[in-house]
Amino acid sequence: MANIILLILSIAIYLSFGLTNAIYILFSTITTFFAAKNLNGKNKKIILITTIVLNVGILLFMKLYLFGQEYITALQDVNILVPVGIAYYTLQVVSYIIDVYKGRIEPQESFFKYLLYVIYIPYLFIGPINRYEDISKDLYAKRKIKSENVWNGIIRILWGLLKKFVIAGRISILISTITGDTEIYKGAYALLAMLLYSIQLYSDFSGGIDIVIGASKIIGINLKENFNAPYMAEDVKEFWRRWHISLSTWLKDYVYIPLGGNRCSKIRNKVNLIITFLISGIWHGIHYLLWGLIHGILVAYSKYLKTKWKILNRIINYIIVSLLWCFFVWPDTILALKMLVSVFTNFNYVDLFSNILNLGLNIPNIIVLVLSVIALAIFDVKKEYFINKIKTSKIEIKTCLICTLVIFILVFGIYGIGFNVSEFIYSKF
Amino acid sequence: MKYIRTIAIMIIFILIFILLNMLLSPKYMTDLVEGSMISQYYREDKNHEVIFIGDCEVYANFSPMVMYEEQGITAYVRGSSQQLIWQSYSILEETLKYEKPKIVVFNVNSMRYDEPVSEAYNRLTIDKMKWSKQKVDIINASMTDEEDFLSYVFPILRYHSRFDKLTKEDFEYLFKTKNNTHNGFLINKNIKPVENLPTKRKLSNYKFADICYDYLDKINKICKDNNIELVLIKAPSLYPYWYDEYEEQIKEYAQRNQIDYYNFKDKIDEIGIDFSMDTYDAGLHLNLDGATKMSKYFAKILKDNYNLIDYRENEEINNIYQKKLTEYKEAIK
Repeated sequence: MANIILLILSIAIYLSFGLTNAIYILFSTITTFFAAKNLNGKNKKIILITTIVLNVGILLFMKLYLFGQEYITALQDVNILVPVGIAYYTLQVVSYIIDVYKGRIEPQESFFKYLLYVIYIPYLFIGPINRYEDISKDLYAKRKIKSENVWNGIIRILWGLLKKFVIAGRISILISTITGDTEIYKGAYALLAMLLYSIQLYSDFSGGIDIVIGASKIIGINLKENFNAPYMAEDVKEFWRRWHISLSTWLKDYVYIPLGGNRCSKIRNKVNLIITFLISGIWHGIHYLLWGLIHGILVAYSKYLKTKWKILNRIINYIIVSLLWCFFVWPDTILALKMLVSVFTNFNYVDLFSNILNLGLNIPNIIVLVLSVIALAIFDVKKEYFINKIKTSKIEIKTCLICTLVIFILVFGIYGIGFNVSEFIYSKF
Repeated sequence: MKYIRTIAIMIIFILIFILLNMLLSPKYMTDLVEGSMISQYYREDKNHEVIFIGDCEVYANFSPMVMYEEQGITAYVRGSSQQLIWQSYSILEETLKYEKPKIVVFNVNSMRYDEPVSEAYNRLTIDKMKWSKQKVDIINASMTDEEDFLSYVFPILRYHSRFDKLTKEDFEYLFKTKNNTHNGFLINKNIKPVENLPTKRKLSNYKFADICYDYLDKINKICKDNNIELVLIKAPSLYPYWYDEYEEQIKEYAQRNQIDYYNFKDKIDEIGIDFSMDTYDAGLHLNLDGATKMSKYFAKILKDNYNLIDYRENEEINNIYQKKLTEYKEAIK
C-alpha cells in the first residue's frame, strides 16, 4: 500500500511540471519494460539495440535541440518540451535493459513496480542514477518507518539544505556579480569565480543529493552515496571516482567497458577514455563537449600531472578541475575560454583584493561562508565517522543537532525575495 | 526520561526561534519609523472621536495634538505609508474592535491604486499589526507575487539577512518599543520648497478600479452599521497629481452616498499653506508648520459641523491630553 502511495505521489509531483512530461517518461518506461520481458529470443540483440537507440535518441535529440535553440535562429521559435529528469531516467532505463540482457537481473514482472523505479520522485531531478539491482530490494520492500531512519534522514536533509542555502547560495551572489560584467571582472576575478564555483557546484549538487538520500532514508530506501570528498582527489582520474559517482560508474559500466575498457592497447584505452568523457560532456549538454574532451584527455594522461607530494597533488588537481568548471560558469564556450585565458594574461590580483568586499558579500557573510566551507571540508574528510557518530548518538543529541541546523539555515541561509532557491544547478542537465 | 529531555530541548529551541524572530525583525525606531506607527495605536487609550485612515497624506498632514489644542477634539491617525484602500478598510475594522469614534476621516488618494505597490510598503503597514482576522485579510489582499504569507507569520524568513545589520536598537527595543508619533502624526520639521513639479502626464485610464469602489463601499457600510459619520478628504498635496477626472468621480460618489467630501487642495490659500515654506519634500507632504495650519483648519470644520465634544472641558481626558501636549510641544521645539 505504501508503495502505491509512493508511486501515486511521484506521478502527481512529476505531472505537476506539465502533462506532456508524461508522454516521454511513459514511452521510456513502456519500451524498456516490454523490451526487457522479451529479451530471450533470437532477436534479443535487435530488441536491445532498438530500445537503447530509441531512448538515447530522444535524450540526444533534446540535448541537440537545447543547444540549437541558442545558436540557430530558426529553432528559437520551435517550442518542444524537454521532459523533466530525462537525463536521469534515460540512463536508469538503459542500465536496466542492458542488465536484463546481460542476465545480471531478472526483468520486473509488474509494470507499476518498474514505473516506480523510473519515476521515484526524489532522485528524478538530480540523481543519483540508480541501478535496478541496487535499489529494487529497498524500493519494493514492505515499507516500515523506523524512528531511527526518520531522525537520520532529517539530519541528512538539513545538512543538504545547509550546503545549498548557506554555502552555494552565498557563493552564487559573488559569482553572479563576476559573471554579470565580463569586461570588468576577468583575470583574477575569473579565477576567483572558477575556484568558488567548484565549491558552489559541489555544495549545491551534493546538498541536493543529501536531501534525496535523506528523504529516501526516512521511508527506508537506502541510496548509494554520490560523492566521496571529490576535492581530496590527487588527480582527475581519482576525482571522477569521487565526483557524481553514479554517473561515473554508469559511464564506466555501460560505455567505457563495452568499448574495450583497459583490456586493449594503450592507445585504444586512451581513446576509450576520451570517448567516455565526450559522452559525459554530451550528457551534460552539447555546450560541455569540450569540457568532456579535456577531462577525457586529463584522465587518460593523469599520471603525468602527479608529483610525489599528496597535498600538492590535491591543490593542483583542485585548481585544474576548478579551471575546467569555466564552461559551467560561462556557458558560452568562447567566452569561457576567453575568461580562462584572462586568468593567465590579466594580472589584476591587487585590484581583486582591494575590491573583494564590493562583489556582493560583506565581512560577516564572508566569515559565515568560510566557516561553513571549513565545516563542510571537515565533514567530507571524516564523513563515515560523522555518519556513524550521528547514527549511534542519543535522541537528545539528534534533536539538538536538528534544531541547531534548522536555526542555522533559517538565519544564515540565502533565500527569500530575489533568490531563486527552488532550482538545483544539476537539475538542468 | 529521554522523551522529557527531548521535549525540553525542543521547547528551548522554540524559544530561541521566537527570540530570533523578534531580534531580526526591524524595530522601525530610528530608521523607517513609519513601520512602527500602526502598532503604537495599541498602547493608546481608545477614546477618540475622530479616526483618520489613509496613506502618508494623513499621518504627515494632520496633527491630532493641534486639533485637540484648538478645538478639544480627540483624534487618532491610523495612517501608514502607501496605505492601500483594502488596508485602510481592515485597519478601520480592527480599530472598531477597540472603540467607536463619531467620525472616520478617509483620505481618498489611495483610490488610484488597484494593486499592491511594493513589498516594502506592505511591510511598513502590516509587520507590526497585532494578529487578528484583519491582519490575515490585509496580508492576503496586499501580497505581491514575490511575497508569501508564511514570512509574515515568521519574520525570520524575510529578515534573516539582517543578521549582519543588527544594531544597538535591535536589542534595546527587542521587547518594548517607543512612540515615534503623536496620536499617529509624524513630525517633520524640514523644509524643501516646491520648485519644479514633475510634468503632469496624461493617463490612459482615469477610472478608479472596481476593487477600490468595493472597498470604499465597505468603508461606507461599516461606518453606517456603527453609526459613524464617514468624511472623505483629499489632502493638499501637489504631487502625485490629483487629476480632475479623479475629483469628479469622488464628488459623484460622495454625492450619491451623501458623504461629506473636502478637497483641501482647492483651499490651499484659505488654509494659509505656503509651499515655499510648509512642505518637507517639495509638495508631496506638509511639514510641521504646514500640518499645523492644515490641522487647525480642519479641526474648525469638524467642530463646526459634526457636533463633537470639547474634551478640554473633561478633566480626566484633558489631563491625559495635557500630558500628551507637553510631550508634543517638547518634540516640536
